[in-house]
Amino acid sequence: MPATVHNDLLVYKGSNFFRQRLLLATLSGRTIKIEEIRSTHDDPGLREYEVSLIRLLDKVTNGTRVELSETGTSVYYQPGILVGGHVTHNCSTQRGMGYYLEVLLALGPFCKEPLNVVLQGVTHSDLDVSVDKIKTAALPVLLKFILVDDGLELKVVRRGAPPLGGGEIVFKCPVRRTLRPLQWTQWGLVKRIRGVVYALRVSPTMANRVVEAAKGVMLKFLPDVYINTDQCRGSNAGKSPGFGVSLVAETNEKTFYCAEAKSTDVGTGDITLPEDLGRECAQRLLDEIYRGGAVDSAFQWLLALWMALGQKDVSECIVGPLSDYTITFLQHLKEFFGVMFKLEVQRSESDDEDSDDEGVTPASKIKMTCVGIGYVNISKRTL
Amino acid sequence: MADENVFDKKKSHRAKQAGRKAEKKKNKNKVDQSNLSARQRNPKAFAIQSAVRAERQFRRREDVIAKKQHIPQVDKTPLEPPPIVVAIVGPPRVGKTTLINNLIKSFIKTNVTNTNGPITIVTSKKRRITLIECNNDVNSMIDIAKCADLVLLLCDASFGFEMEIFEFLNICQVHGMPKIMGVLTHLDMIKNAKTLKTTKKTLKHRFWTEVYPGAKLFYLSGIIHGEYLRNEIKNLSRFISVMKFRPLSWRMTHAYVLADRLEDITSQELIRKDAKVNRDVVLYGYVRGVPLMKESSVHIAGVGDMKISELSYLPDPCPLPSSEKKRHLMERERQIYAPFSGVGGIVYDKDAVYIELQGSHSHKKEDEETNEKKALLKNVVETKETVDEQMQESGFQLFSGGAVIYPDMVKDDEYLQQNKKAESDSSDSEDEGNDSDDDSGIDEKKEKKNKLPWDNDNSEAGSDDEGDDNDDDEEMSVDGDDKDKGDMSDDGSDSDEEPQTDFGMKWKEKLGEKATEAYLERQKTSKNIMKLVYGEFEIGNKSKKAKDEESESEEEGEELGGLFKKVTDTQKKKHKEKERLDLEECSFFYSLDKPNLRDWTSDTNKQYLINSFVTGKRSADEDASELLKLDDASDGEDEELYGDFEDLETGEKHKAEEDTETTAEPGSKRKAEPTKSEILDKKLKLKAKFDSEYDNPDDHRIKGDHSYYENLKAEALKQSELNKSVFDNLDNGLRIEVEGFRPGLYVRMLFKNMPSEFVTNFDSSYPILIGALNMAEQNIGFVSCKVKKHRWYKKILKTNDPLIISLGWRRFQTLPIYSKIEDDMKCRYLKYTPEHVTCNMHFYGPITPQNTGFLALQSVNNNPNEIKQVGFRIAATGSVNEINKSTQIVKKLKLIGTPLKIYKKTAFIKDMFTTTLEVAKFEGARVKTVSGIRGQIKKALNKPEGAFRATFEDKILMSDIVFCRTWYKVDVTKFYAPVVNLLLPVGAKNAWQGMKTKGQLKREKNIKNDANVDSLYTEVNRAPKVFKPLVIPKNLQKGLPYRFKPKEKSTTLSGTNPKDKFKNRIAVIKNPEEQKISNVMKMLKTNYEKKKEVQKAATALRLEKHKKQLEEEEWRKLKRQKELKKKICRHLSKTGNKNKTQM
Repeated sequence: MPATVHNDLLVYKGSNFFRQRLLLATLSGRTIKIEEIRSTHDDPGLREYEVSLIRLLDKVTNGTRVELSETGTSVYYQPGILVGGHVTHNCSTQRGMGYYLEVLLALGPFCKEPLNVVLQGVTHSDLDVSVDKIKTAALPVLLKFILVDDGLELKVVRRGAPPLGGGEIVFKCPVRRTLRPLQWTQWGLVKRIRGVVYALRVSPTMANRVVEAAKGVMLKFLPDVYINTDQCRGSNAGKSPGFGVSLVAETNEKTFYCAEAKSTDVGTGDITLPEDLGRECAQRLLDEIYRGGAVDSAFQWLLALWMALGQKDVSECIVGPLSDYTITFLQHLKEFFGVMFKLEVQRSESDDEDSDDEGVTPASKIKMTCVGIGYVNISKRTL
Repeated sequence: MADENVFDKKKSHRAKQAGRKAEKKKNKNKVDQSNLSARQRNPKAFAIQSAVRAERQFRRREDVIAKKQHIPQVDKTPLEPPPIVVAIVGPPRVGKTTLINNLIKSFIKTNVTNTNGPITIVTSKKRRITLIECNNDVNSMIDIAKCADLVLLLCDASFGFEMEIFEFLNICQVHGMPKIMGVLTHLDMIKNAKTLKTTKKTLKHRFWTEVYPGAKLFYLSGIIHGEYLRNEIKNLSRFISVMKFRPLSWRMTHAYVLADRLEDITSQELIRKDAKVNRDVVLYGYVRGVPLMKESSVHIAGVGDMKISELSYLPDPCPLPSSEKKRHLMERERQIYAPFSGVGGIVYDKDAVYIELQGSHSHKKEDEETNEKKALLKNVVETKETVDEQMQESGFQLFSGGAVIYPDMVKDDEYLQQNKKAESDSSDSEDEGNDSDDDSGIDEKKEKKNKLPWDNDNSEAGSDDEGDDNDDDEEMSVDGDDKDKGDMSDDGSDSDEEPQTDFGMKWKEKLGEKATEAYLERQKTSKNIMKLVYGEFEIGNKSKKAKDEESESEEEGEELGGLFKKVTDTQKKKHKEKERLDLEECSFFYSLDKPNLRDWTSDTNKQYLINSFVTGKRSADEDASELLKLDDASDGEDEELYGDFEDLETGEKHKAEEDTETTAEPGSKRKAEPTKSEILDKKLKLKAKFDSEYDNPDDHRIKGDHSYYENLKAEALKQSELNKSVFDNLDNGLRIEVEGFRPGLYVRMLFKNMPSEFVTNFDSSYPILIGALNMAEQNIGFVSCKVKKHRWYKKILKTNDPLIISLGWRRFQTLPIYSKIEDDMKCRYLKYTPEHVTCNMHFYGPITPQNTGFLALQSVNNNPNEIKQVGFRIAATGSVNEINKSTQIVKKLKLIGTPLKIYKKTAFIKDMFTTTLEVAKFEGARVKTVSGIRGQIKKALNKPEGAFRATFEDKILMSDIVFCRTWYKVDVTKFYAPVVNLLLPVGAKNAWQGMKTKGQLKREKNIKNDANVDSLYTEVNRAPKVFKPLVIPKNLQKGLPYRFKPKEKSTTLSGTNPKDKFKNRIAVIKNPEEQKISNVMKMLKTNYEKKKEVQKAATALRLEKHKKQLEEEEWRKLKRQKELKKKICRHLSKTGNKNKTQM
């Protein structure tokens, strides 16, 4: 849904991509208005988790103005300056922490003070990327843009499964004046597979069974598979029972693919077999590897964002097939920053020969090329 | 730049290789070996004799090298750079216009009658310049300094440097120093040769201190027939055309345009109705700096922030010559373009366009070429729309009755084709027909053919015959969530009419299946990915309007059988949008629908994955064995490698290995066999590497490690190469979409709602600088910067006095607050700027990146009287430190109170606060008495409002004053007013007057403040000090010795004579009896006294007698004793002598 522009004010409709829009508005400094938020639903207006996101953005910025309509179906958001610093935020348990953490990760390099955030809530959720995935797959992407790791850190203090959560993480991010342009067209071959299985308030054997199953699948492809178990007890295990797994495939060009799976929430009545979970996760990882590209498919949008926010130089990266989310994000990037990516489908030579006789071909790769908009961190202080 | 060798390109001298002369030379160069020292013969052996000296030499060399190193910057000059802006700056009547005229004449051999605004000319094969004259207005000087690449700073040598020159140099330093060349004119006014020489020298040295030592200073020695000497001008133009430039940081991050043409395209009717109506103005100019993005907001210096409502590029009006191989510029290629000056045939006035007819010469025969050119140019200049627009509007029909085809359709297809072409480069199996297609229909069918097996549900019955309308559906289907689309194709086109419930049911049923389909398809991703993401975007110059019309015509829709209307594309889109409107946001690849993944463990599927692991097979350029093979092959191609050979010793025969490729699995199809070209590439690369390592003649010396710097440099070089090459073979329209309007393009910018004064008061001698604003720079916030008052500015600056600041592209007036950063990073308010030191400054203004320089003026008014009074006009310079949305400036505040009641170490203090609430806020704060006794605020009292209890380290006195030191926050006034000098009437453009200072207003209105009575000086009357009497306690008195005891008749209060004590006593008058008594008493008393006297005398006599008697007795006694002593002594001596003799 393209925005309508009224006098430099971007007007959107619907609650979808709420996070993208707020994030881009904060970065671009443009005022936005989102209308008709669930206006036809039984429960109209903003949800708790979205309000929580606005609160979080308010905490990391200075001078932000937010106006909600009485019914909560329209939001006016005028962003301020990113300040960062020490922030503690109690995330809504409706969504996972990844929902908030991804935003912070995108904003992190452009704050006035280095971010030091303590987030509390659900660390693993079905709808959002888990903290493990961000730690293993998203931070290396940021590292490519800032090059020097001075204090980029994500620490999982406590895990918390839905619905009650109770997890806690600490996220630290250094600030930069500019991001460097990135050329990332090689992603190499998968050289090792690591993983972590967590079990919160359930029997420790569950974790081992998951490991067994996941390893069973992965070992068919690569001998270097090592999966940790993280058995949490007492207060470290959060408030709800649950278990899950995240697998990471590392390539020799420092690309990380990550797949995850978790047990169904307590109270839904379904039962998850640990073996199924392990296999499912392994399959997802294989699928991710099959799609390939320089980044994990869930973080394509982050890559696109940081490429667009680079210097006025050309960045080019090759990613796997674009996800819906990324496509919308690219549209939003164009609306907020006026930056357009040149997208090309990359094909290997053998592709066309194959396509006739066989059902499966290598996933097409997309080469994203863009000229950065020359974004500078205007909040940072120089002495 | 490559231009410098334009003049250097002479045939180089070729020394004789053989013959008599060569022999002679050889002999001359040959050194006679016989009489050489050992050191001369064998210098290498003596290379290092002293380690210390060698070390020093090495260190010095490294220092010199390090000094030369700059941080490598990515070179962003485009292949066809914009003309170089050469600004001619100087005080009035110094010869600027003459110089411009002469330069133009020297470059393009034509006379220009009047020079106004920027004049673009082609000077060489690879260089164009834009000449612009700067008038004597500080606003213009600032704008010119922001956009000029090269400044010719003119100076009247007979007069010397004027203040304007120094001001301009200062402006330049702040906004990024362009290249500056000084030009001394009026040298013929100095008659004396010696003074001429000394003037030149002094001026040169003064210039060097300002710019840099060794800066070029030209001398134009005189005027003949109103022109400078031809040789000198030639020299100057030569210098201009070989000048090199270093990128400036602000201009390397911001796009800008120096407008050289202006058009008002408001409809005349509107103007007739209301002359003050807001205008639609079109500005033209070359993009400079970095690519200009569409829809970026810009700042027009002197007008304000604007939004470009239409941006398009035009064919270059002053193009560089085509790249034919020839040494010199052809006469006809020496072009000039200056619409404001009426060159290029056209003069623009406020309300008319004049075409210059070159006087009577125009009737002479003109060769066809120039005629044609003129007509063309006229056409281009005159048209309101751009050429591309015109092209857009003209459609054509292939068949009578067929749809009209507009060029933008074709263009899209062109893009498609281009994409395909790129693809087909790699795979020749693609259908060749694509290239020849012109209309969209055929193209689409082709695409359909390429569709994949699993989207068989897309085989709609009517899709092929529905023509254009369906094409877009096809494209949208790639969008991934073709849920509704699939439905529609299944149920026929009238599926939407079905009841909602049914729809929902079906929708759910097929969810998983469809998701899987979508998933499989997505992995194949359509070829036209750009269209998928960005939809139907505008390409290049295509305006939105044309597109809207197009879509409207489509929207009319076809009716099927009269009853049902076909669901149009837009409706479908809307439906889909509605569906997505309120979905949960999720960044996963499979966001909400969970498809059934392929089973990757099955053998067939595994094959596609196995090569993604290090254990799998690698591609040719990565595989170690292949690389080895490649290396070997490059060593000797003709040799047969890995071929058959026989080991003679063992007699074994080795056969060449079978080609592994044939046995490899079907999935692992990667190219392994290196082609010849690849081998050649490899060889070239190796050779280059070898050359760079060994062919360097300086390599013999010991060298430091500069690898870090070299790496940085290489990286920058690589990036700049990439920047240039990556979009090279892209369609121009798309390229602009992706990259922006790159520098060097001639663009047309439409601004809507410009103030009418901009047009009506237009003066072409003022530059129109359009600077693009980057992200967030159009916002306003609080800017914190460091600032130093200029040492030549006479006054100091006062906080909250309006100041005009030139920062970034902008000039604006604001109210700054000066402050000083304390050691604890607190900003302490200062009322005035300190002298010779930087201080901090906060103001409310546009957000600008850190480290951007700015300068401040107190007035931009060019009233000569005022200037004379002020002298140097630049009040301060500085740079931006930080941006924020709030400020934290504080000043010191002392709260004063007095004790109400004092207990031992506790005291109640009043008068410091007025309410209990205030006290509550200050609980625990430190207080102090004037005598230095420290304490703390404890708690508020309820009785006198605002009083509180405080404890001290010692007992305080009632007379003590207690104070509490705190900080008071000072707010920055939100005032920001851009200097809009371009909107002022023509004569008064240099007299912009913004907010006045309070002092100015008072002076004008002749208001004088009543002085504070407390501050007035009055005569001091001091009363003499009166001390209290000293009171000694009785107890103490008792213990004192008598002389310290206070005496009865000691000093009295009044200090009068003690005799006067009885003065005012009442006289006693006695009656006769009393008199008698008193007489008797008196007589008795006298008698008694007489008696006493006699007695006293008698006693004295007696005493004397007695004394005498006593003395006599004493004397006698003594005498007796003496005699006795004598006797005894005699006796003793006698006896003694006797004893002696006896012994």
